[in-house]
Amino acid sequence: MQTFGITKRFGDFTAVDHLNLEIGHEVFGLLGPNGAGKTTLQRMLVTVLSPTEGTATVAGADIVREADRVRERIGVVTQASTLDIELSAMQNMNLYGMYYGIPRKQRQERIRELLEVVGLADRAKIPVAGYSGGMKRRLEIVRALLHEPEVLFLDEPTTGLDPQARAAVLEYVEKIHEDHGITLVITTHYLDEAENLCDRVAIVDHGKIVALGTPTELKRQVAGGDIVEAEFLSLPNAVLTELEKSDFVVKISRRSDGLTILVKNGAEAVPKIVRLFDANGGKLRAVTLRELTLDDVFLNVTGRSLRE
Amino acid sequence: MVMVSTIVGPLLTLILLGSAFGGAITHAPVAVVQESDGQYSSNFIATLRDQQSCQLGGINCQTSFQLIDVPDLDTAQQMLHEGTVRAVILIPSGFDDALAAHSKVIVTVTLDNTDPLSSAAIGPEIQQASQQSSSLIQTSGLGLASITVDLESAYRNVLYIEFMAPGTFVQAIMFVSIIAGGVQLVVDKERGIIEGYLVTPLKKYEIVIGVLLSGVIKALFAVVALFVLAIAVTGIRPMNVFPTPNLMGIALTMFTLVLTALGLIAMMTAYAVRSTSADLYRVTSFPINLTLYYTSGAIYPLDGMPAWMKEIAVINPETYAVHALRLLMYKGAGFQAVAGDFIFLAAFTALMLVLAIAAFRRSL
Repeated sequence: MQTFGITKRFGDFTAVDHLNLEIGHEVFGLLGPNGAGKTTLQRMLVTVLSPTEGTATVAGADIVREADRVRERIGVVTQASTLDIELSAMQNMNLYGMYYGIPRKQRQERIRELLEVVGLADRAKIPVAGYSGGMKRRLEIVRALLHEPEVLFLDEPTTGLDPQARAAVLEYVEKIHEDHGITLVITTHYLDEAENLCDRVAIVDHGKIVALGTPTELKRQVAGGDIVEAEFLSLPNAVLTELEKSDFVVKISRRSDGLTILVKNGAEAVPKIVRLFDANGGKLRAVTLRELTLDDVFLNVTGRSLRE
Repeated sequence: MVMVSTIVGPLLTLILLGSAFGGAITHAPVAVVQESDGQYSSNFIATLRDQQSCQLGGINCQTSFQLIDVPDLDTAQQMLHEGTVRAVILIPSGFDDALAAHSKVIVTVTLDNTDPLSSAAIGPEIQQASQQSSSLIQTSGLGLASITVDLESAYRNVLYIEFMAPGTFVQAIMFVSIIAGGVQLVVDKERGIIEGYLVTPLKKYEIVIGVLLSGVIKALFAVVALFVLAIAVTGIRPMNVFPTPNLMGIALTMFTLVLTALGLIAMMTAYAVRSTSADLYRVTSFPINLTLYYTSGAIYPLDGMPAWMKEIAVINPETYAVHALRLLMYKGAGFQAVAGDFIFLAAFTALMLVLAIAAFRRSL
């Protein structure tokens, strides 16, 4: 899959801005805050939005000129549920199978198989209205696999689910990738999802890719190695000035009640930071040392946090 | 928006219903069959025409009918049956001879009483004209000769509530069309359900026809239930069901309902397909519904409508649906009588379907 300067403008607003991207046979994550352009990008790739400029090929077909062929080769799980809640899982799947022209016998076999995979086989015949959010999402994911697509697009697959349901959905997504070996494109604003699930991640902001690579590569791009979170009760200016001058500190970002300090070596930095606070009249509440996350990468590139 | 709709609805009702009920029946087509050839029958017809063109005194100048010369009685009765004319005036053979022999003659006027309002207006006026004709003849020296008009009903007595029933069925279909053809589509678009279809290889026409057919099924359930309820509650007695059910008549009635549902749902789908706001769609479909219902002849015959309303009626699919249903329900008409209505409804459906498919966007 490849995009060629793909662009989408809504009036004056540019949602996706001349974006070039190549995705191979992998689990690919599009990470970014809400409104970054991830969903718009995905909607263009799945042919429901036409690009203002540029184009892309998905599963070997052009999304503008050969939209029909793209549609036959992709599976899509949209953000909003598209299930018919009055129908059962079986009926929902069956209808979709008919949209793709899958022969009856083959259709029924695959439906049984797939419902088994996501643990819905025993409730396949009750109306979807009685399903939990997680069950619905699992059903939508296997429904999108019915026609054996080459690429599966998942738009925020775990948004709105409780932690347990999220874990189950992610587990199945991982399993599906292992069993079927298809390309997965996942948009998400959850860091752990991108970090644990994806082979490669593109960080998207303001319609552009601001960082691209495996989660490890992305973190390596950030100079320094560890993050020290220093929660304080009081922070005289002297502390901040001294910290900024210190050579073990790479970058500091300040919140109302804490500092996130990017340092070269966490084990060495923690005692130094504590001493600096003591010497300059600051009061600490807690100091935590942690590894870099993709949020730190995002923060490093954009100056903002994904969590905001 | 709600404010606008609360004003538009009643205003439309006032204008359309007021204009329809306020207008007297005019130009109702009446067939005249002249089996006797002579001076008296020609004079008689001339008197009727004078009545029609308001040359008699000119006090009450509004006449309800318009004469059409028809060569033979069979054709005239066929026209009455198909609803092309509201009445048939038969001037019998021997009319001139009898009058010349100073005796009484009877002119039979067969009224299409399935249209109670039109026939109630036409009958007395024809009688009045014949009295005038009679007295003209008497003063011309044929003292004992006279013309009596015998008003006959072509069908069993049709009550106004029965006259109104077909329009009600059509309106039930329209309600389903507004919901199934439009609201459902716009709401599904808002909810993202349509996006689920757009990512599949389904074609534009497949999606639109899917919307159409699912709507037709809903409309049929609704209208058949209403048909049965109307018979049970209001006591209407369609002659394709009473006293003995006529399978052909019922089949044709069902076919009319299917065609009507296809046409109206295709129309509302074409209207809704680009709509992005369910509220706006709901508010605007309300006046569309009222306009079509009031101009269809559902509650007042077309003969009584002002010209501008008749112009709307001609392109209004509900007009043809109501017309066909009345023929089938109260005249026991066959296929031939309603073929014209079917052709219009089928052409209308095709046009609206093409519009809906053309307007449907295969993207968000």
